[in-house]
Amino acid sequence: MKFRGKIVDVACLNHFSRVITTISKLTKMCVLRLTPDNLFFVLSEKVANGGVSMWCELSQANFFDEYQMEGVSPEDNEICLEVTPENLSRALKTVQSAKSVKVKLTKKHCPCLTIAAELPTLSSISRVVTHDVPVDVIPRRLWHEFIEPSVPDFDVSIYLPPLKTMKNVVDRMKNLSNFLVIEANLNGEMNLKIETDLVSVTTHFKDLGNPPWGDDSSQDGGPSQGRDPDSMAEARVDIRRLQQFLMGQQVNPSKAMCNIVHQRILHLILLHEDVSLQYFIPAVA
Amino acid sequence: MDCVLDGNCVKAFGKAIHALSRIGDELWLDPMVRGLALRSVNSAHSAYACFLFSPLFFQQYNLGSVSEEGNETIKCKLVIKSVLPLFRCLSSIERNVKRCQISISAPCDRVMIRFFCRHGITKTHNVRFQESEALQAVFASHLCPNVLKAPARLLGDMVTHFPVSQEEITLSMTSLRVSLRNYFEGAKDHIKTMHTEISLHPEEFDYFQVGVDSDITFCLKELRGLLAFAESHCLPVSVHSSATGSCVVCRPVCFSVEDMVLEATVVLATLIDSEIRGPSQPTETPVPTTPRCVHAATLPVGSCEARSNIPHDITAVTELVTSSQDSPIINPPALMQLLPQTDIPNEFCVPDAACPSTSTTPASTVICSLLFRALSSDEDDDSCAAGLNVLACYSDGEETMEDYPRSFLLGEVTQDALHILTFCDVAQSRSK
Repeated sequence: MKFRGKIVDVACLNHFSRVITTISKLTKMCVLRLTPDNLFFVLSEKVANGGVSMWCELSQANFFDEYQMEGVSPEDNEICLEVTPENLSRALKTVQSAKSVKVKLTKKHCPCLTIAAELPTLSSISRVVTHDVPVDVIPRRLWHEFIEPSVPDFDVSIYLPPLKTMKNVVDRMKNLSNFLVIEANLNGEMNLKIETDLVSVTTHFKDLGNPPWGDDSSQDGGPSQGRDPDSMAEARVDIRRLQQFLMGQQVNPSKAMCNIVHQRILHLILLHEDVSLQYFIPAVA
Repeated sequence: MDCVLDGNCVKAFGKAIHALSRIGDELWLDPMVRGLALRSVNSAHSAYACFLFSPLFFQQYNLGSVSEEGNETIKCKLVIKSVLPLFRCLSSIERNVKRCQISISAPCDRVMIRFFCRHGITKTHNVRFQESEALQAVFASHLCPNVLKAPARLLGDMVTHFPVSQEEITLSMTSLRVSLRNYFEGAKDHIKTMHTEISLHPEEFDYFQVGVDSDITFCLKELRGLLAFAESHCLPVSVHSSATGSCVVCRPVCFSVEDMVLEATVVLATLIDSEIRGPSQPTETPVPTTPRCVHAATLPVGSCEARSNIPHDITAVTELVTSSQDSPIINPPALMQLLPQTDIPNEFCVPDAACPSTSTTPASTVICSLLFRALSSDEDDDSCAAGLNVLACYSDGEETMEDYPRSFLLGEVTQDALHILTFCDVAQSRSK
């Protein structure tokens, strides 16, 4: 198993660091899948996580100048590692001004992702900074746990309001309740509601727009057929999970949307130019 | 003692206090003829800092009348917690304070710190002190084989690569490069933590002298204060250190900055781990073991690592300190205060180092306390001072009594008792 990548462009390095920082805010540990064309950060659904799962896809060509990998075997040309994204994020943060950053899979005291950066100095010889981030190799028999989740059979799909606004609302609602109901309809309306014994608060968003799934969606016969545009699909979720998701976002995505499976799942999707992030929050009763 | 600082200097003075607050809980104010010294020592006696402001730093500097006892004025020990808040907000000090007056008068037990601020406001603070002889770490820096002088920002930039929580780092020096890496103890930490290493070329230093290849490990947290100070004053930082030997005596490392009106020094004890070796480290450094040194090295002391400023460890350290002193195993002359440490299983391994493990003793890391002596008769030389009952010199194989390389004296003379911290080889003690 071999992996070696090199980032030379400052903007790419910056973007890459920000993606990893976002991931680090969502979860303590996740799985990194490396394939010849992509990198995936995967969090699979587990009771320990509260049932949330995450799928983040990066196209390697958009970040790395050089990228070579050799997977476990020619048929399974992939590498699966369990990693703590915070370590990666910390390592990358300190080398933002580097001339070049190499990311390699190495074996030091344990398997590591080594981040080796060359920092510019006044003299002709650069400083070399090396960070060894310990990782765990995931054996092939467990790979089935980390496959791309299929888009659920959602009832409503709607674009999200500006994330910052949403975050402000959710932050304040968190003080009042542990659970939040998010509901939306096909008319571009979304409500965030909390309800306690003393008070109920609802924030209304209008004219958000609904993404046209049509032929692009992976399920058959789109759910929007024949659905009353005003009828709301809702999901009651743990407010902390939603807040965690909103907190971590560092950059405004090109597209932000969510799919709601009525009383089952909230599926959030963020699309940037070269990164896509999906986050699933299960609904609670 | 009475001195006045003008506005610009108050900020520097405040920064010094910030740096000292990272070291210990107590601050010694020591007015001397050659300047006002501020000193601090951490509770484990493994870190010492001294900021010496020369009389030129002050607008006015009066030592006051010569006291009856001799040529020394009062020595004050203050609790840093009571002084730090006065200088906490340096930017507001910079804006508002025009002058600051610090005075100590013998009859009362208070230091008066008076800020003359804008708009006619005067703030007077009286801080109680305890009279106490200060400790001064004696460090023969001119005898260190390894000297580095780093431009102001270099070390500061280097340490940003390490997380703020990183306790200790290892500085390795060879003639080809200087590197810093983080240090772990214990196999469990070792596996799952991130290892960081930074490698610098000698060209980056203003002055580079590596007489002996060495690896030294010291506490980073205590150093950060000095580095912040150096950076704010754009002063280069000098690093003096000796090679690690396989003798158990620790060889502290000294960081210093100076300019025309002030000098700041931080002396840190280093960890001794016989298994930390860079590839270029010779497997066996010729150890000038005097009989007592060998004896000390084999002391069956249960050891526990001393840490500065970590609350949960302090009680452990202090308990063990007394126990080791009371321990019947230890013979008084060769008293080696190894601060106690839990035995680390011998799994510590350093990547690509052929660990020449010294024999069967499990890898044990020991932080020795620094050696100090009282300031009673300090001013002139850093050689053994007369008047101390016990002086210890450790010689590195040179038999001459004149210069004892890397000798660190110790003794804390309080008004009550002579308290011996550590020393070795009393045979070479001498009186002047």
